[in-house]
Amino acid sequence: MTENILNIDYEKYVLANGLQVILYRDNPSPLVAVNLWYRVGSANEKPGKTGFAHLFEHMMFQGSQHIPKEGHFKYIQEAGGSLNGSTSIDRTNYYETLPANSLELAFWLESDRMGFLIPSLTPDKLDNQKSVVMNERRQRYENQPYGLSWEKLFSNLYTADHPYHWPTIGWMEDIEKFELDEVKDFFNTFYVPGNATLAVGGSFDLAKTKDLIEEYFGSIPCGKPVPEIASSAQSLETNKTIMYEDEVQLPRIYLAWHTVRAFDSADAALDLLASILSDSKNSRLHKSLVFDKQIAQDISAFQYAGRQAGAFIISSTAKPAVALDTIREEIFRELKNLVSEGIRPDELIRTKNNIKSTFIFSLQKLDLITDHLNHYNFYLDNPGSFLSDLERYEKTTAGEIMNAAKEFLFNPYVELQIIPKSR
Amino acid sequence: MIAMPDRTQAPQPGLSIKYQLPGIEKFILSSGIEIYSVKKDKLPVVFAELIVFSGSRYDGENKKGLSYLTSCLIDEGAGEYDSLQLSGEFEKLGSVFSISSDHDKTIFSIMSLKENFSRTLELLSKIIYKPRFEEKDFQREKKKVIDHILQLKDEPSFIASAAFEHLIFESTCYGYPEIGFSGDLENISNIDVRNFYGTNFLQSPASVVIVGNFNSSEIIERFENEFGNWNLSPERTIRFIQPGIREASYFMVHKENSPQSELRIGHLSKLRSAPDYIPARLMNAILGGQFSSRINLNLRENKGFTYGATSAFLYYRESAFFEISTAVNIENSGQAVKEILKEIDGIRYSISENEIYFAKSYLIKQFPSQFETYPQIAKNIESLLIHSLDLNQLSLYTGRIEAASADEIRRAALENIFPDKMTVLIAGDRIKIREQLKSALNAEPTEVDLYGNPV
Repeated sequence: MTENILNIDYEKYVLANGLQVILYRDNPSPLVAVNLWYRVGSANEKPGKTGFAHLFEHMMFQGSQHIPKEGHFKYIQEAGGSLNGSTSIDRTNYYETLPANSLELAFWLESDRMGFLIPSLTPDKLDNQKSVVMNERRQRYENQPYGLSWEKLFSNLYTADHPYHWPTIGWMEDIEKFELDEVKDFFNTFYVPGNATLAVGGSFDLAKTKDLIEEYFGSIPCGKPVPEIASSAQSLETNKTIMYEDEVQLPRIYLAWHTVRAFDSADAALDLLASILSDSKNSRLHKSLVFDKQIAQDISAFQYAGRQAGAFIISSTAKPAVALDTIREEIFRELKNLVSEGIRPDELIRTKNNIKSTFIFSLQKLDLITDHLNHYNFYLDNPGSFLSDLERYEKTTAGEIMNAAKEFLFNPYVELQIIPKSR
Repeated sequence: MIAMPDRTQAPQPGLSIKYQLPGIEKFILSSGIEIYSVKKDKLPVVFAELIVFSGSRYDGENKKGLSYLTSCLIDEGAGEYDSLQLSGEFEKLGSVFSISSDHDKTIFSIMSLKENFSRTLELLSKIIYKPRFEEKDFQREKKKVIDHILQLKDEPSFIASAAFEHLIFESTCYGYPEIGFSGDLENISNIDVRNFYGTNFLQSPASVVIVGNFNSSEIIERFENEFGNWNLSPERTIRFIQPGIREASYFMVHKENSPQSELRIGHLSKLRSAPDYIPARLMNAILGGQFSSRINLNLRENKGFTYGATSAFLYYRESAFFEISTAVNIENSGQAVKEILKEIDGIRYSISENEIYFAKSYLIKQFPSQFETYPQIAKNIESLLIHSLDLNQLSLYTGRIEAASADEIRRAALENIFPDKMTVLIAGDRIKIREQLKSALNAEPTEVDLYGNPV
């Protein structure tokens, strides 16, 4: 049953200009989802120029040669669609879901900004979006409790030359300085068809859609090859502790260890480990710190991995009057228990069953499936890896999970303490 | 030979789509509980929610937070299972179980694979009928809620909304956050929770919505077995008296050194059942209901004051309010309020045919996409049940939007948006906000605490 459902039937091909195309038909749907991944994220930036991939994503909604400013939103919404874009460390995506009869509209809009962005760029548009992004940074990070923890953690875990050293939103002083010429250069360097993949999901006619894609995207010049990302191997010699005072009532600790890249051999074991540690009431850290001892208000553990590197992170908010040292000690006690006692079969089954359900539940949403085709294509060069991805988890043994814990979580780590501002 | 597309104009849509709304079947259990079911066969998944019309509006004097705390405790052990065992039973099945609650209602949701639905439902029934409410779970969860309230003091959006909603709803049951106050919680006992559950919760009206892959007669039988003897008593009659509408006024909550200010601007508004709901919705789509509406284009795309700004009519069962919500950099707080007030005035003066065409097209054509996931379908049904509206509203919806005249939409602005009644609340650094409001609007805000009370 699961095998059939997760066997997503798709077709992949490449246009002469290098644009990869993935088509997935799901005909009873009244919708189509168009999802474009550009293989550029904050990891392609340089120190002093951080936040550019994300700011650039904003500029892609400022119109292009044949589309006015805000045109993308106006056209798609008028057609009854929804749209957005997002930037991560590794990639930038743009997506819209539309009634099935408006597929061509998405091709028109996406191909115009892929091929004809530069003539419409103006200094005013850039200044406007710099202000918007600076407010995004204030709203989502600076004015949020614990909002700066992520960037404090990563800028200490990764060396200054590593592409994951800075936050995707960028440093404020870098965002302020970007100039129009840099936007043009960035576009010419990274927004070329050979650096992009167009995934289309939903209800459409296959032959007609292929023709439309060729018409709209085929004539865009292929551009030059994209520069490789230089990324040095990362390791810590000793533990590193950082304290940061913030507008918070309760202190929070973050522990971060270097691990492996996304889809590397230990990646699934680390995901499962994170789940066994913190994904449910019964998970080990939750049960111990939040439920039994009640020294923590919350706890979470996860493997966060991209193309260049990966990290395992545990964060926990202390209850009032509980010291972060106590929290850390308890976390390590549980980690040691886990590697000495082993993982019980019921723990493993529960975790795997939840992962399987999550895979199946996610098939309810067309734009998620379409984005996942691109996700698997990007990391594995195989868009239809839904089933093999699930199998990665199902095949992982308790021993492999313990080995992953032993191999990575007893190495030096970065510890970040966010503590209430002294008054 | 591939044709070159004409890039100078937008391609026309293909043949119009004939969209069939999912059919909704209604069943009534012998207890009177109504079940609404929608079948979707593509995936082996079932989603169900039990909606109980009991929420924090029934908290009672000095027990603010009782309903919320109860909702946190219901699944801390049931029947033969203690808290962890119960959670483990759901995890074994890979089923997702959650409880959410607000002022009007408490909702139990389950999503499971088809093969595990029966067992998942059995667990839900156990939770409803055999909750343990043990003292040690009570103490732990109560402490967790109190500590969470402490944490919320750091959340700018919570502070702004809590203060604003108190200013709008004053001392009525909608005028405080449903999580309650720590002072009240300190005095709530496990007996209060048990009593609230027995006399309020279990006797409240309830409805069920099921979406997914199931056999109707089988599932109704299952629900009859589990919930056929629900003790449905007429809803407790707490008479709700609408608070008065305040004249235009400015308020401020201090948040030291905040780089942004959180803005809330609005007033009480008509109930969800008001006859001009549809024209008002169209009008709001033009004013601030989506990305391309006036307020967002002005504040974000023109001025760069914010990452985003929206307006909405928000509906409780017995009251409602209109709210514009945004966060702006602190140095532009005054100008931002000024621009918002300008848009509020403007929507009453003129609405163009183009704007009306756009808003109608947007709302009508996006309608099918609101029925994609099972929880989405259930939410659409739920939102009508909450307001005691007929489910035929769904099939009439797009026709009503089409039929709304320009006059009706313009009238909806005049009859739903009142510039001289706007309550303006800003959460941010006191000194800067005072300067900002003084220079931009010559206004002096009254300082309130995070619950909207004068300091």
